[in-house]
Amino acid sequence: MYSRIKNILVEQFDVDESAVSLQVNLYDELQLDSIDAIDLLVQLKAMTGKKISPEVFKEVRTIGDVLDALAKL
Amino acid sequence: MKYIEFTKRFVGTALLWFFFGLFGLILSVLVFPILYLINRTDTGRQHAARRLIARAFSAFMWSGCRMGVFSVHVTGLKYKDTEGAQLILANHPTLIDVVLLLSLLPQVDCVIKEAVWKNLFMRSSVTTANYISNREPERLLDACVTRLESGSSLLLFPEGTRTTAGQGLHFKLGAAEVAIRARAPILPIVIDCTPKFLARGEPWYSIPLMRPHFEVRILPAVPVEQLISSGLSKRGARNQLNDALASLFESELS
Repeated sequence: MYSRIKNILVEQFDVDESAVSLQVNLYDELQLDSIDAIDLLVQLKAMTGKKISPEVFKEVRTIGDVLDALAKL
Repeated sequence: MKYIEFTKRFVGTALLWFFFGLFGLILSVLVFPILYLINRTDTGRQHAARRLIARAFSAFMWSGCRMGVFSVHVTGLKYKDTEGAQLILANHPTLIDVVLLLSLLPQVDCVIKEAVWKNLFMRSSVTTANYISNREPERLLDACVTRLESGSSLLLFPEGTRTTAGQGLHFKLGAAEVAIRARAPILPIVIDCTPKFLARGEPWYSIPLMRPHFEVRILPAVPVEQLISSGLSKRGARNQLNDALASLFESELS
């Protein structure tokens, strides 16, 4: 799951592979903006069939947070 | 003298809101359901609903001017394209910007916040008129792009909400992203309201000391390509476009 998310970030969001880790901040360090966040939500739903609510996703900062949010659904 | 003018405007404003509520109620409870029954197709209903909304809003603006509550001056209507779809972007200083703009641009699509869809009095009109809801952010961008691609002009406020009184323009990335994905020409509309009236951060019942004047400038349409360099990443392009739009509006408002 982590590697699939990593692939999305690298391939679709222009992120450097070496920068990706469980704790790296998606917004401050990987430079994702608000539109990227929405796109990521859409990609995650397509990939997992699970929909993270925007309110929950607002609290998400790292890939670790994403995995936690998905696990709770 | 000033007190007389203020009092007249105070009374005029109160009357205006009262009739807005009253007619809104009548339209919602009586007229829209009839409209829904008379028109057989969804497109017919949508068209009739939007025309009715535009007329009601025109009447509101006309009454407001007539009673001296505010004054309005519009330039540049010729830049509105009646044939093709344009992405209409406006700044958002007051609560009645949508009323003003829809009275000028009857059939355009626009995004209406979820609170309105839940409001008993406004629900039937926005539903019949088939506006876009902002309930789901991931659907919102797609809906906007789809509407533009289908040939319908779309009105968006890049700020996403009203300008906070006393603060500068804060353009969010959504409108820029829609512009880039849909590649429709951008029609900028600058709304300059002085003194500040019905701004965010001020109570809706507060009345300025001088009569507010709405100077509405519709600027010539500009293609997206003219505002950004080529070869940028997706993120780079929308940020550059967003900055270019913000600068354009800021220079027009200064």
